[in-house]
Formats: sequence, structure tokens, C-alpha cells
Amino acid sequence: MSTTELRSKSRLPLAFSVPKREDQPNEDSFHRTAKGVHALSDGASVSFDSASWARILVRRYARNPEFTHEWLSAAIAEFRKLYDRDSMPWMQQASFDKGSFASLLGVRIADAGRAIQVLAVGDSLAVLCDGDRIKATFPISTASEFTRSPRLICTNPTHNTFLDQMDFGYDLVADWTFRGLEQPALLCMTDALGHWLLSQRDRDSSPISVLRRLRTPGAFARFVQEERAAGRMKRDDTTLIALWQV
Amino acid sequence: MAYQAEISRENPTCILFVIDQSGSMDEITEAGRSKAAFVADVLNKTLYTLITSCSKSDGVRNYFDVGVIAYAGSQVTSGFGGALSGEIVHPIQAISENTLRVEERKRKTDDGAGGVIELKTKFPVWFDPKSEGGTPMRAALGKTIETVGGWCEQHPGSYPPTILHVTDGQSTDGAPEEMANGLRQISTKDGQALLFNLHVNTGAGLEIVFPTAESDLNDEYSRMLFRMSSPLPAHLAKFAGDKGYSIADGSRGFIFNGDPQCVVDFFEIGTRPRLVADR
Repeated sequence: MSTTELRSKSRLPLAFSVPKREDQPNEDSFHRTAKGVHALSDGASVSFDSASWARILVRRYARNPEFTHEWLSAAIAEFRKLYDRDSMPWMQQASFDKGSFASLLGVRIADAGRAIQVLAVGDSLAVLCDGDRIKATFPISTASEFTRSPRLICTNPTHNTFLDQMDFGYDLVADWTFRGLEQPALLCMTDALGHWLLSQRDRDSSPISVLRRLRTPGAFARFVQEERAAGRMKRDDTTLIALWQV
Repeated sequence: MAYQAEISRENPTCILFVIDQSGSMDEITEAGRSKAAFVADVLNKTLYTLITSCSKSDGVRNYFDVGVIAYAGSQVTSGFGGALSGEIVHPIQAISENTLRVEERKRKTDDGAGGVIELKTKFPVWFDPKSEGGTPMRAALGKTIETVGGWCEQHPGSYPPTILHVTDGQSTDGAPEEMANGLRQISTKDGQALLFNLHVNTGAGLEIVFPTAESDLNDEYSRMLFRMSSPLPAHLAKFAGDKGYSIADGSRGFIFNGDPQCVVDFFEIGTRPRLVADR
């Protein structure tokens, strides 16, 4: 996808995010731009200040969606500058050295949706819909693929060696289009919602129609609360970026 | 099925290190350090790893109660100093907050751009090497029975305690086997306490790792340590196999004449439950 194409304007999608608990920080992050580049990231709460790491990833993607090894090195360098490692107490230093982990899901929408590129590292989910039907999902296609140990991007490069085996332009990317779809929509979500959606996809009531009705932060928060209470959604930070009927 | 209990803050497990500090532990290994210094270093690194594996954004979570029993001469004491010396077992959060000191060491690491840099890293120390006097192994295992028994009474639903016993010599206060047998009888609802024995290399004889039968062993002393050791439960056997050890049905948690790498692996395999603690 060329940079010229990226100049195509599109309106901002809806975006909502709720923390795992009211009194705990939300380690998900999202960023939307008027040029059709949007990203979300799920910071792993087991790691050191993953909220800042997730924020750096989405902001950088929105600025420059060409994900490369150099891109990642620059992001890691930005994160490291946030802290004075040498002055940290030993335990904080140990956590800092172990690294912060986060997913990255980015989308570039060009030419009014004729060209959509999805980049995914980790277990955040992009979904292409036509009306209430799911046309494609990436990078996960079944609920059972959500595991407790997804491969995430880390501030400690020794944990990113899995990326060395990958062709970034092929293994991490899906190319979609809104062409030929009557009622196209693009959804991006972190894993709790992604798992919910894929485990509900064969129900009579389409999960897409449920999400389509959520138009305000309050409605989204109530929906997440109800699904958690019913045991259908795991308690985790939950984020949705939704671009309906482009 | 035993050894299936989830390890969580509500249901922690217990890891107990029983360390021989007798005079012979001052023998210098091929790496130029005493056995006592090497074991102390591995133990400190193991505690460091346990603590960091329990460190979440809200602090250190008490997935583990950890204790160190040190024995030498006529004494069996807590291996911890300072504020931790009064009791044998402590929640891991208390251990994280009570180091003897923090040293600064250098280590090499990936710089993220294809190079390697040397980083100064803070290294906490809880346990110092000592080596003097005899080997009161029987008394040490008696203290271990008392400690593990009390812990299991308070945690009947937990994954049972793991005891990692490190020695380089023979008991000087009587036969330890019946104490070991008694220790392995203590249980929670999730299974019997696991006793794993590591005999540190003395420079003589073959290394024997996770044997399956007494007949694999040459002398009565190593056969006794074999009998004192628990069979490796399936999940630990798999982990040891993944590390490259030859494991068969009935392999016991016992290493005889273990070299330095065996010592490191023994601690890592024995503290394997850290990897499955509630995330």
C-alpha cells in the first residue's frame, strides 16, 4: 500500500475501552487517526508498566504503520527512556529487565475501504463483517486459539526472537477489502472481546448485531459488565474499535 | 490425580531448600569456587527468579511460601539471616523485602539492535556460603518434617510442598532414611510432599541423574539417597525431559555426583511450579 493511498480520508471509528476492574489501571491502549490508520494494543498485566508500552506501540503505529525491526527497536528505545534503570530498586529493575509485553493490532484503510491492511502481533483480533456476517478474522479464527501465552511484543529484545523467523509483510499481515460487501464493517478488539465474539459466532443472535448496537461508552461498559457477570466474557481490560458502514 | 492443584494466592505452595553447610562444602570445584559458594549463588538466583515470577503490576503475589534449612556441625537453623531468621518458612513477599544485601554485578545482554551490551545489574543476596563441621542430615530432615507437617495442616488443599535437599556427604548423626520416608508420607489433598536429593560432585565416580532403579547405582550410600527420593511427577518428568535429561517411568528426583549444570537444572526443575502459578 503506497503512502499516496493512505492520504484518503475516512471518519474516525467508534472506540471504547473498559478496565478489568474499576480500581485497576487499564493496560489496553488505542489510537485512531483521520487518515484511516488505527491501532490497539493489549498490555500484559504480568509485566512491567505494560500500559506505557501499549501506548507507545499504538502511537508509533498511527504515525508510521510500516512495522519493521527498526521500527520495533525505536519503540523499545522510546520505552527505555521513560525510566532511569540504574536508580531502580532491585526488584523493579528485575521486572524492567524481564520486559513489558503487549499485543499490536493495526489497520490501514485506504481508498474508502477498497484496500485494508491489517497487521497483528499477539492475540488482539480484527474482524471484517458484512451486515451481521463475519467474513474474515485475523490473526485468530477460532475461540480455542486464544491461549494463556500469546506471543507478544516485548521491550526486552530477547523475547522478540520469534519475529526473526517471520516475514513481516506476509506472516503478520492480512489484506482485506470492503469491495463487494453490502454492509461492510471493520472491528478491532482485544482478546477478552475477541474470545467472546468467536465463541458466540454460531449462536442464533449474531454477536456482530450485539456490538452494532453499542454506540456510547456507557452502553459498551454495561454490555461488558453483563457478559462478564454471565460468565461469557473473561474479566480483562476490554477494548473495541468499530468502523461501521463505511 | 495428584499434583494438579492450581497455585494461587489463596492456595500457595511451599518450597523448602535444605542445604548442607558441612566442612567438606569448602572444596574448590573445577570452576575455581567452593561448592558452598556455588550452591549459595544458585540458591540466591533461584529465589530471585521465584520472586520475579511472582511480581505483577500490583506487587509481589504470595504464590509461594519459601524456607531454607541450613545444617552444619551440631546445628540446624534457618538459612535466612536478619528479619527472616526467626522462622523457617516465609511468604515470598516477605523474602523479597528482606535481603541481606544487594550487590551490583555485570551481565551481557542483547541491545535490541543486533549488538551486545554489558549491563550493571542489582543482585539480591539472602544466603551466604558457609562450610564447617559435621553433617547432621538426620536432624535437618527432622526439622524439615516438623516444618512441612505444620505447613500442610494449614494448607490442606494446596499443591504439596517440594523439598530440595543439597548435600555433598554422608550423615554424621545417624541414618537419615527413615526421616526421609516420614517426610514423604506428609501430604495435602493434592498429593505427598516431594523430596528431591542432589548430591554435589566430589570429583569421584560417575554422575547419575534421575535414575529409575537401585540397580543403576554402585554403592549403598547412593542407593540410600535413591530410596530417599520421590519419583518425579509427570509434569516435572516432562520438564526434565525437555531439558535434555533421559527420563523413564519411575525416574526419581535424585542426582548423584551432579556437576554445576546439574545443580542449576535441579533447582530449576524443582521450582517448576512457578511457571504454572495463577497469572
